[in-house]
Amino acid sequence: MTMIHANGVDLHVEEVAPVGVPTGTAVLIHGMTSDSMASWFLTLAHPLAQAGLRVLLYDLRGHGHSERPATGYSLDHFVDDLDALLAEHWKVDGPVHLFGNSFGGTVAFSYAARHPARVAGIVTIESAPPTAAWFGRMARRLARAAETLADVDAVLSSRPLMARRVRTASALLAETSIGVELPNSVLNDPAAIAAIDCPVLCLYGGESAVRELAAETESVLPQSRHVVIPGFGHTLLIHAPDQVRAEVLDWLVSYVH
Amino acid sequence: MPSDQTAVLADVDSMLRDVLGDFGPEAEITMDTTFRDDLGMESLDVVSLAGRLQARYGNSVNFALFVSTFDVASVGELTVGQLVHYISDSLAKAPAAS
Repeated sequence: MTMIHANGVDLHVEEVAPVGVPTGTAVLIHGMTSDSMASWFLTLAHPLAQAGLRVLLYDLRGHGHSERPATGYSLDHFVDDLDALLAEHWKVDGPVHLFGNSFGGTVAFSYAARHPARVAGIVTIESAPPTAAWFGRMARRLARAAETLADVDAVLSSRPLMARRVRTASALLAETSIGVELPNSVLNDPAAIAAIDCPVLCLYGGESAVRELAAETESVLPQSRHVVIPGFGHTLLIHAPDQVRAEVLDWLVSYVH
Repeated sequence: MPSDQTAVLADVDSMLRDVLGDFGPEAEITMDTTFRDDLGMESLDVVSLAGRLQARYGNSVNFALFVSTFDVASVGELTVGQLVHYISDSLAKAPAAS
C-alpha cells in the first residue's frame, strides 16, 4: 500500500501500468462517505490499462485508507488534493482523462473548470458539475447518512460484512466537519464550468434521481453525451459494471482517440 | 494437495493475514475459506492483496486478469482455493527462472 503526503494530508494511492502502446493517463475518483478506490479498481482500472491508459487511483481524504483530518472538506480541498497528486506525485505531462463516480465526478468537473487545458476527457457516473442544485442534494444526502450511521451497531447488525467500511464512513460523518463544510463549499464560476470543452460522457442509472440533473448538465456542456442504463440506481458502477465498461470503452474509441 | 499448492497456500495465508492485520482470522485458512463470509474481506482489502501478489510473484501471475472476472459485488464469493489454483497454474505456465 502506497501512502503519499500531498496538500497536507496522507493519501492512499495506487497505479495500474498501461498494457501495450501507451494512449494516455486516466485518474479514477471515487464517491462520498462509504466509497473507496476499490469500486474503480475492481471494475474499470484494468480494462482501461488494457486500452493503453496509465491508470491512477487514490482514496479521497477522509475515505478508505487515506488520512481523516478533523476539518478541510470543502470542494476546494478535494480539488487541491487532486492538483497536488498530479503535479507533485504522479508528475503527469499532458492532459488526463478524469473518471468520477458520484461526488468524484464533481471533483473532476471542478478540476477541469480550473485547468481546462489539463483535461482530455471526463467520464462521470451518477454525477453532475458543482452546481447549487447538486450541492443541495448532497447536503440532504450527507444529513441522512449521518443520521443512519450514527447508530453504527444497528447498521452493522443488518450488514455485518461491511464492518470496517461502515465504521470509516460513520467516523467521517461523526468526527469531521464534512457535513457542514462540503454543502457550504464555494462553487466554481458557472462560466468556468461552461468553458470546459473536452469530450464528456455522463452515465446514469434509470432508477436514480440523479438523472434529473442531466438536462442542466447538457445545457451547460452541449458537447456532453448522456446515457441512462435502465434498471439500476445510484450504485450503477457496482451493480452494472459490464454495461459501464461497454459504454466507457466504446466512448473512448469514438470520441477520444 | 500437490506440494506446489501447499507452498502457494502458505504464501496466500501470510499475505491475507498481513492485509487483514488485527482483523485477521484466528482459525486456519484453508482452500475452502471464503473471502467475505469467513475472512470479512472488504473490497479495499482486495486492492491491498493485489499489491502484495504483484510484489511476491511479479508479472508471472496476472492478478488483474483474475480479478477482472469478479466485480465488487461478487469478489466476496471468491475462495482461497480458487486464488491458490490460479496462482499455481500461472506459475506452472511462466518461463522457469534461470
